[in-house]
Amino acid sequence: MDVSFAITGKGYVILAADTTAAHSIIKVKLDEDKIKELSPHLLMAYSGEPGDTVQFAEYVERNIRLYQIRNLYPLRPSSAASWIRRSLADSLRSRKPYSVNLLLGGYDTTTHTPHLYWMDYLGTLVDVPFAAHGYGSYFALSLLDRYHDPEAPLEEGLAVLKRCIDEVTKRLVVAQPKYKVKVVDKDGVREVEL
Amino acid sequence: MATGGGAYSYSLTVFSPSGKLVQIEHALAAVSQGTTSLGIKATNGIVIATEKKSSSILIDDSMIERVAVVCPNIGIVYSGMGPDFRLLVTKARKSAQAYWKIYGEYPPTKVLTQEIANIMQQATQSGGVRPYGVSLLVAGWDVTRGPTLYQVDPSGSFWAWKASAIGKNMVNAKTFLEKRYNDDISLEDAIHTALLTLKEGFEGQMTEKTIEIGVVTVPDPAELEAGKVEGTGRFKPTFRKLTEEEVRDYLSL
Amino acid sequence: MSIMQYNGGSVIAMVGKDCVAIASDLRLGVQSLSISANYQKIFPITDRIYVGLPGLGTDVTTLHEQFRYRVNMYTIKEEREIEPQTFAQLVSSTLYERRFGPYFIEPVVAGMQKLPTGGFAPFIAATDLIGCLNFAKDFVVAGTASEKLFGVAEGLWEPDLEAEDLFETISQTLLNAVDRDAFSGWGAVVHVITKDKVVTRTLKGRMD
Repeated sequence: MDVSFAITGKGYVILAADTTAAHSIIKVKLDEDKIKELSPHLLMAYSGEPGDTVQFAEYVERNIRLYQIRNLYPLRPSSAASWIRRSLADSLRSRKPYSVNLLLGGYDTTTHTPHLYWMDYLGTLVDVPFAAHGYGSYFALSLLDRYHDPEAPLEEGLAVLKRCIDEVTKRLVVAQPKYKVKVVDKDGVREVEL
Repeated sequence: MATGGGAYSYSLTVFSPSGKLVQIEHALAAVSQGTTSLGIKATNGIVIATEKKSSSILIDDSMIERVAVVCPNIGIVYSGMGPDFRLLVTKARKSAQAYWKIYGEYPPTKVLTQEIANIMQQATQSGGVRPYGVSLLVAGWDVTRGPTLYQVDPSGSFWAWKASAIGKNMVNAKTFLEKRYNDDISLEDAIHTALLTLKEGFEGQMTEKTIEIGVVTVPDPAELEAGKVEGTGRFKPTFRKLTEEEVRDYLSL
Repeated sequence: MSIMQYNGGSVIAMVGKDCVAIASDLRLGVQSLSISANYQKIFPITDRIYVGLPGLGTDVTTLHEQFRYRVNMYTIKEEREIEPQTFAQLVSSTLYERRFGPYFIEPVVAGMQKLPTGGFAPFIAATDLIGCLNFAKDFVVAGTASEKLFGVAEGLWEPDLEAEDLFETISQTLLNAVDRDAFSGWGAVVHVITKDKVVTRTLKGRMD
């Protein structure tokens, strides 16, 4: 029942994910952070099979950190996406694959461009202007087809994101009450309040 | 620790204080005791030839093979230890077939030569083995480089030659080839030069039973055009061994 | 629903006079939900070879990376560029390596083959997901719209089309075929390859 969205705009990427941790039909936690800060300019929203998600996200987090320690500079978003994709693709054909879907948002400090990647548990990697995972995607993607502007300033981007969240809250039976929103731009990653 | 040495089974090829690998020097010595082999590159092909002498008249020499076909476009000849050569031929043939299974065509001469050279190099660095006691002449034709002739030594180093000789009389044979070689020699002339060179250091009678010859012929454009585009078509073999009859004819000229 | 239809997408290649063309749609979806309208599934291998990889999205990337690795190693080891015919064989053997756990991709290869005499000949080929090669002389198709592509191509293709006419033929074939396929579409990309240049055009299609 996880819901996550992401939008690119002029020099930034916004990621949003609900904060519910559920076991079967029971909500066990309402302030879970499902967006990891992988490096100074890289965010990753994860969803999917409980257990796999945190396990895989931490595995990625530590490997991205290891790269930075070894090389004294962080992986660029495209390279990080490529590495994570390979991990999932290898996992898919293993005895017990990870069922984790990801949204990867980053700001490439070498080319000064924001990047957003949609990735699923199969290892399908797509470079997109906006993306969503979970039931929310059926509502958000059509809204974003209409309202997304790649040149929009951050305030407008957040407004569009608000539209998506409101729509999902209004129409989805299993709607999520609370969302955590994070932004990455030239200044790095930070959390914002809607 | 494993039984029979384990950590103590060092490679025998250890640098001597003077910077030489003595085992490789010894392998080269084994080669220079072997029968003479030579190769000459001509404008329209290559000839490789060797003497095949048996130590007793009681040996059935029809079994002896000193020039080997590796794949339809490549053949090799050796000087040195026969059993080592046979092993390398087996490995080279497998390598050529493995290449065919991936790319649907046989390897270019240089690539196959590199494969063989790598195998020979590994024997100079691995534990529990000795270097191969052979030098090889690899002759072949391919689309990119045309006809090419390579020599591979026990160290695993290899060079391309216009003409070269290995084995017992290599120094004399090379001097002889240097005098007789020119850049626009034809394959027919090259075969005769090869026979003359062999004759220089030959002990006993030179007959179709005591020498072996392999030739690379360059296919003409029409043959190439027919074989390549369709996908299923193959090239006509460009390397072949001369039959005893053909060798006899060349000797009688 | 077969795994071959999971992400959707189609590729076609055609032979012309001293040229070849390869084209694909740009959709990537998850079943009937479209995720991207700019998903490239045709990749350059050399200046004269392109390969199209329709099928499961994850394997599009995995195989593209695999082919890039193998072709780079070939180029370094052999000190020459790979030819279309040889590359098609490499594609086939790479897929057959996974005979009993295949990549869910049906590749299409298009390129200009260098002839021993120095000229160039158009070359196209396609394989199934385990590497069975099909060297066609006219056109090859693959992907979720393959049945429709066969039909339209059968009607529109003719021998010895010049580069411009071939572009028109392959574009109309692809666009009209994917309009009848729910899993392909959302624009297209067409590459026309001649011996010394490649012309790439992006087409708009029906966005519904």
